[in-house]
Amino acid sequence: MTEGQLAVFLGSGLRLAMPIIFAGTGEMLSERAGVLNLSLDGMMLIAAFCAALISWATGSPVAGLAVALVVSIAVAYVQAVLSVTLRANQLVVGIGFNILALGLTTFLYREIFGPLSRDTIPGFSLLDFSWLAAIPIIGPALSQQTALTYVGLLLAAATWALLNFTSFGLAVRAVGEDPRAADQAGINVRRVRYLGVLYAGALAGLGGAFMSIADSNTFTEGMTRGAGYLAITAVIFGGWDPWRTLAACLLFGFATALQFLVPAMNLDIPVALLLMLPYVLALFAIAGFVGKSKQPAALTLPFERGG
Amino acid sequence: MRMSEPPAIAPSHRDFWFSERLRRTRLRFPLSLGVAVAATFGAMLIGLAIIASTGTDLSDAIDAFWDGMAGSTFTIGASINRAISLAFVGLGFIFANRANLTNVGGEGQLAVGGMFATAMALHGAASLPLGLSFAVPLLAGTLAGSVWGGFAGALKGWRGTNEVISTLLLTFIALPLVYWSVESFHLLRKPLSDVSSLPESPEIPDATKLPLLFPGDRTSPLHIGLLLAIIATVVVAVVLSRSPFGLKLRAVGLNQVAARRAGIRSGSLMTVAMAISGGLGGLAGAIMILGQQFYLTNDFSSGYGFDGLVVGLLSRGSALGVVLGALLFGFLRSGSIDMEITAHVPAAVVLICQGLIVVAIAGSAILVEKRGRQ
Repeated sequence: MTEGQLAVFLGSGLRLAMPIIFAGTGEMLSERAGVLNLSLDGMMLIAAFCAALISWATGSPVAGLAVALVVSIAVAYVQAVLSVTLRANQLVVGIGFNILALGLTTFLYREIFGPLSRDTIPGFSLLDFSWLAAIPIIGPALSQQTALTYVGLLLAAATWALLNFTSFGLAVRAVGEDPRAADQAGINVRRVRYLGVLYAGALAGLGGAFMSIADSNTFTEGMTRGAGYLAITAVIFGGWDPWRTLAACLLFGFATALQFLVPAMNLDIPVALLLMLPYVLALFAIAGFVGKSKQPAALTLPFERGG
Repeated sequence: MRMSEPPAIAPSHRDFWFSERLRRTRLRFPLSLGVAVAATFGAMLIGLAIIASTGTDLSDAIDAFWDGMAGSTFTIGASINRAISLAFVGLGFIFANRANLTNVGGEGQLAVGGMFATAMALHGAASLPLGLSFAVPLLAGTLAGSVWGGFAGALKGWRGTNEVISTLLLTFIALPLVYWSVESFHLLRKPLSDVSSLPESPEIPDATKLPLLFPGDRTSPLHIGLLLAIIATVVVAVVLSRSPFGLKLRAVGLNQVAARRAGIRSGSLMTVAMAISGGLGGLAGAIMILGQQFYLTNDFSSGYGFDGLVVGLLSRGSALGVVLGALLFGFLRSGSIDMEITAHVPAAVVLICQGLIVVAIAGSAILVEKRGRQ
């Protein structure tokens, strides 16, 4: 492997990891509060579509990002009503949302852009930090990124701080472990869970927008290709810990990037096996064969006051 | 057990009564046929409104839809063939669900089932006598699916791993496996000497294809999968409602601890339940390959597993409900394809309807549960 290949690999790995980092960070917080959003993929897809549509219509990626954020928070609100207030099965609701999101975005895309649109969409431009680029190997990877990449990495760190050093973070952890005790201690369980889901929605929105207006500058049908599921997988693999989740997201991003590196290096490793690698790792993790991770005790369990 | 009316005093007491009631009954999802029917009709009305909003003439769209769905002997047969696969996945779903296990991995089980059926059909089964030429590949697909499902069941039974997450992960492992098998010449990919070099398997030998139900009628694509589906429906219905095994499943589903005290080995029961559930999914995949597609492609499963899951959800645990739901979705899928081709309405409308149905049913579960128990 040449140094050039390595730099390209690191850069593309980071770019591929970013949507998962956004979505996984938000999802980690929501799951710590006890709500699993299987609809993450749908939220990302809708956000990717909205960002592309608005950016294309107005020429401003910032407007696209803003609208994507608002829409994905709105979707998350509906998810919260269903899974917190109506205490619906969080997993089934999530699958329904994903089918709905795929249908809606595909339908609207074909109606608005036409089935074979090749329009490029105005996206965020790359920031060129020459001082960063001077660092060997990781420099070029870190510097050839859009502003959103840095926002995502900052958000991952901020979420860690939020979870560990604020009273809200304490409430989140309490609600996810033992909602009844948290309720008796005066914490508004429903409010904390709503905020958790909305936070996951907002970050999934940023992740989806990243795909369409920061990475590829185009929208394609079903373009998330299961990135939302991958983010949930990363949370599991990361053992519901902020830094380990971030590491898992990066690992999955680099694993995905391997499919471009491996042919370039003339290695004979089937791409398909690389594609399934994250899921195999996660399967081992949830089965308890890798590391010791304990899920929040009240994950996916609805809570109702009284009793 | 009949419950007395809740005491009509302060609302907090009423809420308390509901929560106690819910905790005792363990909420299961699809609850009332009424909600399922209402959700389906509501979603279809919304679908029609969406089609109308695109400026397409509704009658054109409906005509195209009808033609694709049931316009001729051929399309009716094709729709029913679609419904057969969906019914198998749906039956698998309700089977595991009786033990309160949610098998959302139908897509993956179907994918490995189709893959192993193809492998068996291409390598060895063709020369077998007495119908074994297609029975052996069907069996291979079923076994592959049951390994895929049973693994998730074993993880749940002995390690407490959430089966929703494990079956989903297993789906995302199965799909690249299919991709790998059709991409690699040493696995199932057809040799390069063929006209095209698409990543797909060669066509399976004629002897391994499922016999047609009406061999004389060239216009009907209906195959004997229909008979298998009818048999499976009856067997699943009888096992779930009339057999000791069905009762054990239910006992484990309602209360694992109590079932264990009653001498039921819940770990192995869960494994078996998921293996049967996954086996039905694998059989669906095998039938898709041997009955209509005849060669394996990367995305041959194309959402049938997820559609079958929706069918299972809609049926609220009834085998007859699965058949009705499978027919509905089989015909809808056929219709939507024609509607896209002839009337230029994106087939994604059907996805929107399906998504709405699932969300509506899941969202109303608690309301139904409250009313149903009063």
